[in-house]
Amino acid sequence: MDFDLTDEQQLIREAVREFAQTEVAPKAAEIDRDHRFPSEFLARMAELNIMGMPYPEKFGGAGADNVSYVLAAEEIARACATTSVVLLAHASLATFPVYKFGTDAQQDRYLHDMASGRRLGAFALTEPGAGTDAGAGTTTATLKGDEYVLNGSKIFITNAPFAEIYIVFAKTDPAQGTRGMSAFIVERDTPGFSVGEAEHKLGIRGSSTPPLYFADCHIPQDALLGGEGDGFKIAMQTLDGGRIGIAAQAVGIAQGALDAAAAYAKERVQFGKPIAALQAIQWMIADMATQLDAARLLTYRAAWCEDNGRPYGTEGAMAKLFASETATRVCDRAIQVHGGYGFTESYPVERNYRDAKITELYEGTSEVQRMVIARSYLR
Amino acid sequence: MRIVVAYKWTCDPEEATARPDGTVDWSRAKPGLSTYDPVAMELARRLAEEAGAELVGVTVGAKGVGAPIASKAALGRGLDRVVIVEDESLREAGRSELAAVVAEVIRHIGDVDLVITGDSSVDVAAKMVPTVLAGELGWPAVAEVTSVTGQAGALRVERAIPGGVQVLQISGPAVLAASADAAAPRVPGMKELLAAARKPVELLDLTALKVPPAGAVMTVTGRARPERKARKGQLIDTTDPAAAAAELVAALRAAGAL
Repeated sequence: MDFDLTDEQQLIREAVREFAQTEVAPKAAEIDRDHRFPSEFLARMAELNIMGMPYPEKFGGAGADNVSYVLAAEEIARACATTSVVLLAHASLATFPVYKFGTDAQQDRYLHDMASGRRLGAFALTEPGAGTDAGAGTTTATLKGDEYVLNGSKIFITNAPFAEIYIVFAKTDPAQGTRGMSAFIVERDTPGFSVGEAEHKLGIRGSSTPPLYFADCHIPQDALLGGEGDGFKIAMQTLDGGRIGIAAQAVGIAQGALDAAAAYAKERVQFGKPIAALQAIQWMIADMATQLDAARLLTYRAAWCEDNGRPYGTEGAMAKLFASETATRVCDRAIQVHGGYGFTESYPVERNYRDAKITELYEGTSEVQRMVIARSYLR
Repeated sequence: MRIVVAYKWTCDPEEATARPDGTVDWSRAKPGLSTYDPVAMELARRLAEEAGAELVGVTVGAKGVGAPIASKAALGRGLDRVVIVEDESLREAGRSELAAVVAEVIRHIGDVDLVITGDSSVDVAAKMVPTVLAGELGWPAVAEVTSVTGQAGALRVERAIPGGVQVLQISGPAVLAASADAAAPRVPGMKELLAAARKPVELLDLTALKVPPAGAVMTVTGRARPERKARKGQLIDTTDPAAAAAELVAALRAAGAL
């Protein structure tokens, strides 16, 4: 078994780390404090071919493997959780359905722009009454002549309204439950489609996650992605891969917090020596580092499975479950290492702590991940 | 125009640790491009973008410098191809010896209009190779270069000098050492890094190059820290700020600092 990264994976990690540490990290506190969408980093990530990393070059992507993509997401999250979620929602959630399920015409129209990062995407599944119970959505898509008419609303939609391309899930046959759900590609500025007020959140504050409203929104028939009734399957398959990215984000956030805690412990002097000399602190750091490494290995393993044509649903769920819970635990300990200072905005760990929590919630709560994992063992 | 960028693949001493007995432990240090070499690559790229040029990377050294990851790291920073001499006999080579090998590689490549190097290597920092190389080739050597524009046979070079910038016009090939802060190297893009594996790598045999034997041999025989002046350790009572300020000024005057 080979635990080494390939040459390309190592070089990619170093390059993204250079970008993240020199350009993104210095702005992370301001992005959080001002709840600011990091558009300048969108442009930079597009320039560096990060926005569509795992998609083939012929579609405008970089043609990198999923392990490389995960390494990149981790390095960016280590600097700024907000910037990493803008990337992940775009690349894993919005671009994947077009790549996997799009017709040639749809790919011609959207995929190149999305994989190159020229146009930003968003994934619109969640509704006020349909979160974990994603199949309970009430947004409808009614075929009228050669158009579908969308009515309903979505909530917590990452990247809206900056995104131009939305993958919207709506019921073409509400009576069929999840089997009546379909997926559509909807462009911003389509009449009848509007974006609501920004959501104020505990963390990833620069990430824009407003509600979407569809009021007699007419879209062409060829906006249908896949076939009628394929929507739930498309959503679930997309989330299977998406959660590996979130695991990487969790690992990155935790690594940033651990870096800060270790640096602080070496500098902070109490009782005449750095607190890093105290066993209580050493054991905290040891536990944090070990759990973080385990989370990292689960994440890389899931990405490797995806790269090597193996099933990755359970592996991705394990990675996301463990990495997210590890991230909140590591960030909590990181504040503890900092003592009172960790509770202030002068140190980054309070932001890491607030950012980490979302990884246990979105793209499938930890409860959903447990359902997925249990199902594969108790079938 | 053909530009050669000479680079080094080596370990950063920052990653080495000192053992209790004073010896250096390099086991956790991972090799990479010497810290200032990407600055040289950036200057070369800018000139190539302006004037049109082939960028050829050259590195010489012991086993490891020809590892695929080393070549990919260099090629991923905009070089078109690399030419390498990897020979274990070079492990203890002096700077002059290495410069002589690089000179032979440049003669082998042929039609080279310009050589750019980093300011110095991160591990040895002798600042000798560019100068000796230039001597071997019979070309001018310029250090502290902050920019190079123009074209083959008419290069315009800016060089940092105390208090300002010197502008030079060079009518033929030269060896330029980029100053450490001449440019912020651009971050390699993902496509560039992935394309690196497809670019040509030429490995030259050292014995076939027929490098003339080295002249004077130079060895480092010692290192010393500057002497630490004993500190005065004078404490000033700050209960009365005005009095403390007066006492501080008097003490600084007495010490000749004011």
